Amino acid sequence: MHLSIKNLVKRFGLVTALDNISLDIAHGSLVCFLGPSGCGKTTLLRVIAGLEDTNSGELRLGDTDLRRIPTRERNFGVVFQSYSLFPNMSAARNIAYGLECRGWRKTDIEARIREMLDLVHLADQADKLPAQMSGGQQQRVALARALAPNPSLLLLDEPLSALDAKVREDLRAEIRAVQQRLGITTIMVTHDQEEALAMADLIVVINNGRIEQAGSPRDLYERPATAFVADFIGRMNVLPLDTDSGQACVFGGIPLQVADNKAAPPRTLGVRPEKIALADAGTTGANVIPGIVRAVSYLGNLARIEIVPQSRPDTCLTVELHGAASVPAVRSDVVMSIPAEAFRVLQ
Amino acid sequence: MTDISSTDALHARPRSGMSDRTISWLLTLLAALPILLFLVMPLAAILARSFDAPDGFGPGNFVAVFRTERFWLLVRNSFAMSIAATLIVVTAAYGYAYALQRTRVPLKPLLRIIVLTPLFAPSLVQAQGLLLLLGRNGILNRTFHLDINIYGFWGTVIANAIYAFPYAFLILSASLAVADARLYESAEALGAKPLRIFRTVTLPATRYGLAATCFIVFMLVITDFGNPMIIGGDFSVLATEIYNQVIGQAQFGLGAVIGIVLLVPAIFAKLIEKQLTRRQYALVTAQSKPLVVKPSFRRDAAFAVYAYLIAALILSVLVIVIVASFVRLWPYNMTFTLHHYEFDVQNGTRPLWNSVGISLATAVFGVAVAGLTAIVTLKVRNALTTPLSFLAILPSAVPGMVLGLGYVLAFNDPDNPLNVLHGTFALIVILGIYYNHAHAFLITSTSLRQISNSFDEASTMLGGSVLTTLRKVTLPLLWPTLLGVGVFFFMRAMVSLSAVIFLVTPSTQVAAISVLQLSDRGAVNQAAAFSVCIMAIVVFCLAIVRGVLWLAGAKDVTLVR
Repeated sequence: MHLSIKNLVKRFGLVTALDNISLDIAHGSLVCFLGPSGCGKTTLLRVIAGLEDTNSGELRLGDTDLRRIPTRERNFGVVFQSYSLFPNMSAARNIAYGLECRGWRKTDIEARIREMLDLVHLADQADKLPAQMSGGQQQRVALARALAPNPSLLLLDEPLSALDAKVREDLRAEIRAVQQRLGITTIMVTHDQEEALAMADLIVVINNGRIEQAGSPRDLYERPATAFVADFIGRMNVLPLDTDSGQACVFGGIPLQVADNKAAPPRTLGVRPEKIALADAGTTGANVIPGIVRAVSYLGNLARIEIVPQSRPDTCLTVELHGAASVPAVRSDVVMSIPAEAFRVLQ
Repeated sequence: MTDISSTDALHARPRSGMSDRTISWLLTLLAALPILLFLVMPLAAILARSFDAPDGFGPGNFVAVFRTERFWLLVRNSFAMSIAATLIVVTAAYGYAYALQRTRVPLKPLLRIIVLTPLFAPSLVQAQGLLLLLGRNGILNRTFHLDINIYGFWGTVIANAIYAFPYAFLILSASLAVADARLYESAEALGAKPLRIFRTVTLPATRYGLAATCFIVFMLVITDFGNPMIIGGDFSVLATEIYNQVIGQAQFGLGAVIGIVLLVPAIFAKLIEKQLTRRQYALVTAQSKPLVVKPSFRRDAAFAVYAYLIAALILSVLVIVIVASFVRLWPYNMTFTLHHYEFDVQNGTRPLWNSVGISLATAVFGVAVAGLTAIVTLKVRNALTTPLSFLAILPSAVPGMVLGLGYVLAFNDPDNPLNVLHGTFALIVILGIYYNHAHAFLITSTSLRQISNSFDEASTMLGGSVLTTLRKVTLPLLWPTLLGVGVFFFMRAMVSLSAVIFLVTPSTQVAAISVLQLSDRGAVNQAAAFSVCIMAIVVFCLAIVRGVLWLAGAKDVTLVR
């Protein structure tokens, strides 16, 4: 059953939290809502869960109009950011909670608890109270609790952001593995682009209550549609083009060849730092921009170099050199060479 | 592995009973209806009665009262006595709280318990003790053949000061407990002397707490009835006048007018106090560093002397009541006897057991009522919840006597179908619940707020209904607080005097009223014995509950407030 959202609007007083959101989510996929804090991604998740009302718009799961189903009857599993395990119940009782609400038989409940604890590798922690478990263990119990009643949709609200870096990486892999094994449609909210890139089938970048772009991780990285997406996912140099040249694609008086052709003349170009090559001073040719090195950071396997173009000193480009034998000195003259395919036209 | 692929997942819905919306409305009405009946209606009754003059509906009663010389004398008396007591209490309690929070005075837990003891007794034990000490037949006048006259203004002021001391101490102690060490460190680094630091750092940081205390104490004292009744002599105040008008002369209309006159400053004091308390909390930020008190012999010694003196004073008034209950005839025949505990007067021990029964019922039903109201106002959202939360804290601005008078006026009315309650224990229990409702409600809702909303959301998402969430999650987390609220109701009901004075009948006598009547008749030793029994029961109950909480591992629940 696929989830379909159409023209969804949600306002809090005068603030529009969700501004005309439309989105289709295929059955069995893992979707990440990615965006800065306050962008509306959590609100969208809560609207889908039924924890918030909507002002207008459609929300369907398969043929079912979700807005007509009360929150507690939607049968969705949710994992919250703060471990919202019931502190007065053991891990096993937490997992049993949803099953008891559905009137499962006692023997079935016991069997299901064991099954779910095995799934998250916590079989030995059944009788522990949440306070006696680590953050990572609590979140795994929360996942087991959400999955126990066979939910038709799994919603994860920044499930990893309260955890240590190492635990976060382990749990990231574990969540993805469980999700793929069960084939359950999953939506995860996160502000961590690395997390989204590593886990998602589809990333939905949200900013100011609108969807900036939705696509596979590769799509978003290689073909960002807007400057916001380009900057939010990885690093991207943004080149504001000359407005007074009368020609298309001129940067600091240098005409650029751009492979990414769009009908309208572009105003801004983006280029990833690792796509820029450095050439010897004096090199000429297409897409060559001379500049002065402003700063160099040496980061082991890569060097990050900030270069100010001579003809556009109001801008600064970042270049990343992987495993370079020599790194230019600060204040030296260099020449940047950018292949036509490396440019992205940004809206 | 059970089938998790979701072809039929939506069919595996949670069992639905009543919809959550229906349940939440039912709960709201269940909470709102009794508040309307037992709080709003009595207050409306007193307002209506005050305008029901002999010459028809109108301000006739007010005009009649305001024209009398005596009324203005009572207003002057009440205000003068309350202001004097407030100044004394707030100053003395600030020093005491400072000693406990900001110095290294030894035996702090003991000092804390002693200062709270007046809370365990009806608000006339202070006057009782003072009379035994300084009255016409007090031990000082008799032993040293002096002629100290404690009756009147100063007796009332001192008795009320002791009565209000623990309340002032609790607020001031809380506001002195929070301090940002960084401020003190920088003041010291800049070379400020202790007195200057106190004036420029400590005092400004506690000014809101200090002001709030002034209003709380003023309100407690101006509405208090027991102490001026016992020790006032010819010195009358507004609170005693209501009693005289209603009980003595059956002048309900005039009593209602004075009740309204008393209600107005009380409501103002409460509003100002609420504003001030809100500002107090804003002073502490997340970056604050807790203050660690360094030892200083001279300061600690000076504050120790001060704190022990105050503690001795408070304790002596109490101890003298206990001693008096065990001697044959204070102060003439000081031989030991248990005779006064035979209670061969009036109804014997009946009033005591009545009080215990009433207090237990008040505790049980009070917890249910205040708990329900708190849960409804915090966890349910509908049109009624905001007015409901206002009504829930309204009683904190209503003096006990005024509410009690309202009950008489409302439930003694033959046209009111609820008048079957008149003259029953049930009505006394209900009064106890609503008189103390505000505080119990605030304790419960503070505690509820600390229980994260995400538990409710998690439960809803797992298919739990409002009632399931309440039963399986909220209440199991809330019970230590609810037990504390029960203790609070029990304590207040045991010592309650001014609220119930109009409701008791010979068949529904309570212990605190017995003390008043015995004192009035000059049976001081029996009165003292009665007071001691009340205090013993309260302390016994506190000890049991503390033990239960300790066994359950809930050690941080405050029982005395």
